[in-house]
Amino acid sequence: MSAYSGYQKTSYGAQGGDDSGGFFAGGGSQQGSQGGGGKSYQDESLRPLTIKQILDAEEPYSGADFKVDGAPITQITFVGQVLSINPQQTNLTIKVDDGTGQIDVKKWIDADKQSDAEPGFELGSHIRVWGRLKSFSNKRHVGAHVIRPVTDFNEVNYHLLEATYVHLFYTRGAVGDSGAGPNNSDSMFVDGGDGYNAGNGGAQLPSKLSGCSGNAKRVYNYLNETPGGNDGMHLNNITGALGLAVRDVLTAADELLGLGIIYTTVDDETWAILEY
Amino acid sequence: MSEQMSAPRITASYLDSFVGRVVTIVGKVTQLRGDQATIDADGVVTILLNRDAHLANGNAAQVIGKVNPDLSIKALSTRDVGAGVDMTLCAAVAELTHRHKEIFISEN
Repeated sequence: MSAYSGYQKTSYGAQGGDDSGGFFAGGGSQQGSQGGGGKSYQDESLRPLTIKQILDAEEPYSGADFKVDGAPITQITFVGQVLSINPQQTNLTIKVDDGTGQIDVKKWIDADKQSDAEPGFELGSHIRVWGRLKSFSNKRHVGAHVIRPVTDFNEVNYHLLEATYVHLFYTRGAVGDSGAGPNNSDSMFVDGGDGYNAGNGGAQLPSKLSGCSGNAKRVYNYLNETPGGNDGMHLNNITGALGLAVRDVLTAADELLGLGIIYTTVDDETWAILEY
Repeated sequence: MSEQMSAPRITASYLDSFVGRVVTIVGKVTQLRGDQATIDADGVVTILLNRDAHLANGNAAQVIGKVNPDLSIKALSTRDVGAGVDMTLCAAVAELTHRHKEIFISEN
């Protein structure tokens, strides 16, 4: 756990300028800051990504939070190979390649800690990085909180699987058709739920939708991803976009209505997501 | 190193669709003969090694290299990744990266 305490500290330190309230709360204890700290900390998540996803992340406007698959990213983690290490006065700049792309990682050096200046890994080795995506004069880099060498190669494959799982979670909705029974999928949400819950309204998805049919999840995802304004989307749009029969969409909508996840807007066949 | 190039993960069965491209392949080293090695990556693949290769027979190796027309791979970088690598997992992950190209493979 020692790695994590260092990681927390750097994270809040880096944020201090942006949000001084949170900084002080963070200075107290980890627990306190997670629960009672500023709102922004409740939106924190740790997303596993491939470097291609990092490079493709959307930045709605300069300085905004980056988004991947429509969900804002805060802290991220990835695994890759070290291409080059470039020690600077105040930081180490490391170029990392995971086979999907390349990105610079900057690790600030704490002048008081001599050990910080030594990378602890060699060229070509695999490392896991935790950090935040930053953009500086149109060039992206990751501000690393923690970097550690990967000693078991299986972690590389594990990370790619995890990144895919989370990607599919956001793009196709949660589990369901993958052969796992409803009970199994439920328990998977519990595993992942905490991490995913941070973020936008759609993050409510796992707990509320876990008992729903596949069609209901698809309709929900469609409503969630399609900007329909306050009026929501009409039945015809949904059937067209999802390739579902009218009856299937109506059934799915009834299911979602019953759970209080969506509501009807201009008429009985137009729905929007109920956000609260 | 060219910028932003992706090196897709493949197994032996993907070789013929990646001729001329740089790929990443992980396999178990089955033979080491001077500047040539064969690895088992869901099928046998011949690797033309570069000079600084330090592979060990029986261990898994990650090779990044260019696929030749005869389906051998000219290594640009090789790395011994130890003995405890789950090869079934490697093949499954390679397959997965082609099924979900959107987060793994850049078209260039």
